[in-house]
Amino acid sequence: MARIRPLTLQITTGDPRPIIKQITDAVRMKIATGELEPGDQLPSVRGLAQQLTINPNTVAKAYAELSTEGWLESRQGMGLYVAPPRQRLSNDERERRLSDAIDRFVHDVIPLGFAPDEVQARVADEFRQLVPRKIA
Amino acid sequence: MNANDHVIETRALSKRYGRKLALDNLDLRIPRGRIHAIVGANGAGKSTLFRILLGFLPPTAGQARILGKDSQALTPQDRARIGFVNEEHTLANWMRVSQVTAMQRRQYPHWSQDAFDGVIGHYNVLPEQKVGQLSRGERAGLNLALALAQGPELLVLDEPTLGLDVVAKRAFLESLLYRNAADDCTVIYCSHQMEEIERVADNLIILERGQLKNMSAPDDFTARVSHWVADVPFKGPDPRTVPGLLEVQRLDGLHHYLVLDQSDGFERFLRDAGARNVQSMPVSLDRAINAFLAKNHATPVAA
Repeated sequence: MARIRPLTLQITTGDPRPIIKQITDAVRMKIATGELEPGDQLPSVRGLAQQLTINPNTVAKAYAELSTEGWLESRQGMGLYVAPPRQRLSNDERERRLSDAIDRFVHDVIPLGFAPDEVQARVADEFRQLVPRKIA
Repeated sequence: MNANDHVIETRALSKRYGRKLALDNLDLRIPRGRIHAIVGANGAGKSTLFRILLGFLPPTAGQARILGKDSQALTPQDRARIGFVNEEHTLANWMRVSQVTAMQRRQYPHWSQDAFDGVIGHYNVLPEQKVGQLSRGERAGLNLALALAQGPELLVLDEPTLGLDVVAKRAFLESLLYRNAADDCTVIYCSHQMEEIERVADNLIILERGQLKNMSAPDDFTARVSHWVADVPFKGPDPRTVPGLLEVQRLDGLHHYLVLDQSDGFERFLRDAGARNVQSMPVSLDRAINAFLAKNHATPVAA
């Protein structure tokens, strides 16, 4: 049986992002970067709530949202696991989000005055470190 | 036990102290289960509400029911179902901790020694100490331990963590959130500590000048408030014409608006007022509540 993977995440109160969103964002990021792998078991609702000193209902809601979106799956009576990867967004939506992200990035980076080649090399580098499995 | 019932139900409840209306036609219904935080500025009527609900004070008008019973006619059996920790942690100063504990144990049929020990163990309180010798935090711990040990259906906490050190505060929150005994218990919690409310509350109740202003999940309340920054020329539109305005500030020549229940229409409003640049952003719970309460908060006449 898979052992529970600890979730190393921090929540901040006083942040414009509600605690639920801080949890769902962090878990999605960990799955996307491979820190959490399909089949890994997540901490129990009560366990994570206690780790973060928050209301267990908040963790339950975050987990429910991640399950609905297909990031997590529950196994009867055993807890929650990272679901096998599948495409979770429509192609149009992926395309739209990619354009948005590139827009934001380009706007931020152009004023810095680096050569385009240099920027691209740095981005490629970062990708190699973050998502090794997906580049290969 | 009816799943739809309300642990607290008030109808047109009013309380007047001389010229001051502490509760103003308050209609409040709090459903059973979960943790409800009550927030309000000083003098919003929170403590008055608790006193009436517990039968310590008569209302001037209207009705208050707690666990389905008229709050002015509570029997000792009804009171056994309600735990109350007040702000001052009032306990008989001349009694020893062991005496207070023994007294409570006799009074409450569902007394749980495990629950008591589980909470009091976080504090360095000795049975032979007199209540009057305990520090504020220790008294808070003792009070909470007593309240949880009586196995209440409803736990009413008035500013329970005020004056607690960081360790005691955490211990307090843990006993509230993760003890199994607390699962069947509805908690009503009044606090000024936004950080705590964000962590523990399922439901956010806002009282202002004796009236109910909000009842929703904290996140839903936060989503109602948005922060807009615009370069409206000169003094900007008359604040009285700004829809949903909670707060306006002029910083470095830009107008910052905190507004309630406004969507994209607000951008149009700002553009019509002459703004060329308009940006909006979400706010934190702390900021949202603060702006909401600040709107009608007392300020000196000259200000």
